[in-house]
Formats: sequence, structure tokens, C-alpha cells
Amino acid sequence: MKKVLAIGLVNAKRFVREKANLFFVFVFPILIVLLIGSFFGGGFNPTVGVYAAGEGSLTEGLLSALDGLENIDVRTYSTEAELVDGVQRGAVQGGLVIPVDYDQSLTSGESSQVGFVARPDQTAILLRQTIEAVIQEQGNLVRAARFAAGHTGGSFADSLAVARIVAPASQRVGVTYREAGDDSLTAEFSGLGTFDLGAHQELVLFMFLTSLAGSAALIQTRQLGVARRMLSTPTGTGTILMGETLGRFNVAMVQGLYIVLGTVLLFRVDWGDPLGALALVTAFALVGAAAGILMGAVFSNDSQAGGLGVLIGLGLAAVGGCMVPIEIFPEGMQTIAKFTPHAWAIDGFSEMVRRDGTFVDILPNLAVLAGFAAVLMLLGTWRLHRVLTR
Amino acid sequence: MAGNILEARGLRKSFGDLVAVDGVDFHIAEGETYGLLGPNGAGKTTAISMVTGLLEKDSGEVVVAGRSITTSSTDAKAAIGYVPQDIAIYPDLSARENLDFFGRLYGMNGKERSARVGEVLEIIGLADRADDRSEQFSGGMKRRLNIGIGLLHSPRLLMLDEPTVGVDPQSRNAILESVERLSQEGMAVLYTTHYMEEAERLCDRVGIIDHGKILAEGTRAELVALVGQRDRVRMSTNDRTEAAAEALRSHAAVDEVTASDGGLEVLVRGAAAALPRLLELAAGAGVGVTSVEVVEPNLEAVFLHLTGKALRD
Repeated sequence: MKKVLAIGLVNAKRFVREKANLFFVFVFPILIVLLIGSFFGGGFNPTVGVYAAGEGSLTEGLLSALDGLENIDVRTYSTEAELVDGVQRGAVQGGLVIPVDYDQSLTSGESSQVGFVARPDQTAILLRQTIEAVIQEQGNLVRAARFAAGHTGGSFADSLAVARIVAPASQRVGVTYREAGDDSLTAEFSGLGTFDLGAHQELVLFMFLTSLAGSAALIQTRQLGVARRMLSTPTGTGTILMGETLGRFNVAMVQGLYIVLGTVLLFRVDWGDPLGALALVTAFALVGAAAGILMGAVFSNDSQAGGLGVLIGLGLAAVGGCMVPIEIFPEGMQTIAKFTPHAWAIDGFSEMVRRDGTFVDILPNLAVLAGFAAVLMLLGTWRLHRVLTR
Repeated sequence: MAGNILEARGLRKSFGDLVAVDGVDFHIAEGETYGLLGPNGAGKTTAISMVTGLLEKDSGEVVVAGRSITTSSTDAKAAIGYVPQDIAIYPDLSARENLDFFGRLYGMNGKERSARVGEVLEIIGLADRADDRSEQFSGGMKRRLNIGIGLLHSPRLLMLDEPTVGVDPQSRNAILESVERLSQEGMAVLYTTHYMEEAERLCDRVGIIDHGKILAEGTRAELVALVGQRDRVRMSTNDRTEAAAEALRSHAAVDEVTASDGGLEVLVRGAAAALPRLLELAAGAGVGVTSVEVVEPNLEAVFLHLTGKALRD
């Protein structure tokens, strides 16, 4: 055991001395969690740009109504050209052009056309529907005021003021929105925080990628002749491999815990039962370390291992649900995903976070991950002994 | 004679169609320095790798300190200190860290390890650079550290695989002196080399290996006896070498005379006694001798005799 620790310690020491490793282990993952959470998490609000060419109470009323929308941010522009440029560059997801005669036309009983500028995407369509609803509401107020003014002989401005006051109390016909598909699944995802899903996926993705990249250390140890020299001491292949695995495991474990703690503190990510989360991180770190060691024993140069490592790491991550939630995969792909350790790890976190599971509920996941680690370790030991002694 | 620390019997190893080691037998007594002398590709490294338990044997047996050694065995390896031909150290660790790491693998404990690391740093002359990363070392310093790792646990048998290849003359001499000192202290040494002079200087016994087979084995004197006690006399002449050759062949101690451009090579029994008469014979034939060199029989000559080629071919 002392020899295993000695090899593991040397590995960790050499890893820490390489500054680039620290960036990829500690800085990069948190940045990616932040980016993914910002772009795809539940907290993203589209922004609509507004250019009002004229002035008046109706123009202000429209702007105020847009400002009052909960899920849309508003940014004003001083020219139409700037607004269009902002849309083209993606600074805002849609643009509204209120014409110069907007107030005058509506007050005098004429029609007015409000312009909408957007790129042809899904967000723009949804944004347009929301803005049309706001304009429609103002149109209703104008029509009501005009009707009242015509029948009471009062001024349009007074009637509009009255209409604004009584509008919130008026009876409305509402539309209840419900997503088609699996209701329980929708409910599961609806409880997640902005960064939750992304953080779980990125944890698994990065721990595995880092571990595969760690295969370079074993390859280097072989290339330097140190691995063979270790075998000339009273140290068996199994001990060497366990020591090398311990080195990789330490790195994966530290990275895993760092991502968990970092995302809890920075983004309040929910990782579920702490004991279960620790067990999952530990089991997956073992899988990653064993996979890295197997790669280190199979490949003979680090550029070969590096290139294929990224390919294998990203491929397994994609299939295993690190990029798109596995639940939205077709049934066949969900079955294939079960052959990746990633899917079992992510499912473990899902069980605890989305389905309120505990440590006991993820025992099957832990058992499967331990199985993955054991098989990879056995293959790695066999291969390393072979390459060192033949 | 002391017991054997190493016995290798019937070692054989092939890589595909190439037979790298073909039925090699040798033994090393306690405290003895044994050399495997042969040209590059003769099978020295393959043989030492099997003896160290680093390479699986096709057949044969190796016993070190009374225990059979294989790639899976660990106990017998405690008696061995192995110094590979290529430098095998972590370049991003210091000399002390490298030694400490291997000390742990040899099972040495805290204080003992720390003290021994200090001693070895002194032995290899790196005490003042102990905490510098080894990637900053010169080639010779790396070689010394490479050897130091093999000495850490004071092994009963030190195996050095061509430790002076690519080393500057100063470092080479330092390495040879270290091996001589260790040998004098009673450590058994297996030393592979393709430098005849190193084998002659260091080894009590030498096995001459070529094409995976040990062709001859023994002390220097025993091996030289294989070619007979004939000295090689090289004469540089100014002219008429054929006439001189004819005259020298008449001497009873001369076995062979070869004429070449600008000189003669004479194989003669007892050159010291015969040389004055040989010079007279040359002068009598009207040949002016400008220089004379006498080469006593050596392992180079033995190798030439056994294989028909020079050691460095």
C-alpha cells in the first residue's frame, strides 16, 4: 500500500507542477458551467429593442407595458438604424419600431402600423407573439375609449384614462399553456435551477475528460523508461497500475469536489443528498481514472492518446447525456446510453435532485459505476503488464 | 569460492523470426564483476532484461540470491539494483525526489531512506544539486543519477546495461571508478558493454556474446589464451615492404606477416625478446623502419578470433 501511495503522490506532484493542468481542472469547468447556465438555463430573458420615433401618452403607455413584462427585458434605441444593427448583431432578440405618428393616428381614430424586426428564429417568433399581445391590449383600450367618447360626448383623453382604470377589473378570457408530452418529465425539469442541469452534466464531462487526458502521464512514464524501471524494483505491475490510478483518481476527485463546492457557492446549484453526491463523485472518479490508465497502457504516444481521448471523452459524453438530457433521447438511444458510465452518473444526480432520491436510491448507479471501474482496471493491468514485459 | 548470487540457465528469447538470445548460460559469484561483452545488437540488453525480470523469457531460468526470478516475482528483485541503458528518471522531479521515490519502491522506510538518499547523492556527486530538477542536469549528471537509483538499497547484485554510452570521457571515468569501488566493497556486478577496454578494466570474468550466444567465457587471461600468446607488432616502413615481409618470415618466433600500404603487421610469440632481431632483419633487407608498436593480445583480438570481425563492426 505504501508503494501505491508513493506512485500516486509522485503523480499528483508532477500534475500540479504543470500549470496548464490547473487551468483545465479548476478554471475552465466553472467557466463552462457559467456559460451553459447563462445561455441555456431557466434564467435567460430575451431582450427587445425599442425605437420610438415620436412622443405621446400612447407611446409611453406601450413602452411602460413592455417594461412591465416579467420575462422580457427592454432596451431603447435612439435611431431605427441602431435598432436594426442591434438585432443583426444579436444584442437584442427583436426590435420594435413605434412610428412618429403613433399617438396622433390612434387619437384621431386612424390605424397605425408598428414595425417588428427580428432574425428568423424561434425566440423571435415567441417574442413577436408577446409584443403583439401587448399592442393588442393597448388597441382594446383605445377602441373602448373611442366608443365611450362617442356615446358620452366626453373627450378621448378622459375616456382613455377611465378605460385604463377599469381595464384591470374587466373580465378576460385566458389561455392556459400546457406542454404536450410526458407531464412527469416536464415537472421534473421545471424544478431545476438555472445552473443545475448544466453543472451536473459538466461535472461528469470534465471529470472524464481530465482523467483521459491524464493517460498522458502514464504514457510519459513508460516513454521515460520509469515504468519499466519500477518493475525492476520489488514492485508488481498491479501495484504500479494502482499507484498510477490513484494519481489520476486524486486529480479527478479534487476536480469533482471543486466543481460541486464551487457551483454550490457561486451558482447555488443543487446536488441532492450530500452523501449520495460524494459517493457518485467518488465512483465516477474511479471510472475516469481507470479509463485513463487503460488508455495510457494501450497507446504509445501522448498525441495519439490526447486526440483520441478528446474524441472518446466527447463521444461518450454526448451519448451519455452530458450535452442534451438523456430523457429527450429516442428510446433506442436511451438504451445505448446505458452502456456509458456518464449516463449512470447523471441519472444518479437526476434521481437525487429531480426525484428527491437519497443515497439508497442511487445504490444501483453506484454498483454499475464500480463495475465499470473494475473492468477497466483489470483490462489496464493486463495491458500494462504486457507492454512492459514483452 | 563464494556461492553464486546469479545463475542464468538456457535463456532464450525471440522477437518474431529474430532470435535475440539463444541458449545463454552464465553465473556470477558473490562479489564478482562479470561482463557481457559484445557489439550492438548482440543480445546483451535482451539478456540483462530477462535476468532482471523485466522481459518474459521464451525459455530458461534465472535464480537470484536463491530465488527464481520472473516478470511477476517481486521478492528476488530486492537483491538487484538495475541501471538501464537509457536514462530512466522523472525530469520534472529533483535528484532527491527521484531517489526518494525509488527508495520507497525498494521498501525503504523514512529515516533509513532519507539517510541513504543523502549518502547516494554524495556518492554520485550531486549533493550540491540535490534539489534542482533533473531536467536542468547535463547528460553526465543524469547518467550519475541513473546509476545512483540502482545503488539506493545497497543491492547484492548491481546490473549496469552499457552505462557509459554517450557519456563524456570525464563522466565515463567517474562511472568506471564508481563501479570499481563498489566491486572492491564486495558488491557483485553484471556489466554489459561493447567497449573492450571497460570489460578488461572492470571485470573478473567476461562472457563474449554475439548473435544471442555466449561464444566464450572466462577471465581475461583465459580468453586471451584462446588466441595463443601472440603479440601484434605494427611497423611503419618507408619502402620495400614486401622484401621486409619476406625477411621477417624467416624468424622462428614469427607466425604471420601481413604487408599493407606503408607498413607491416607481424604476429609474433614473445615480441619483447624477438623485437631487436626483427628490426635487424628489416634493416638487412634494406627497409627503413620509422616506427614500431607492440600490441599485447586483448579481448578485441579474442573477439576477432572468435567471430572473424572487429568488436566495433
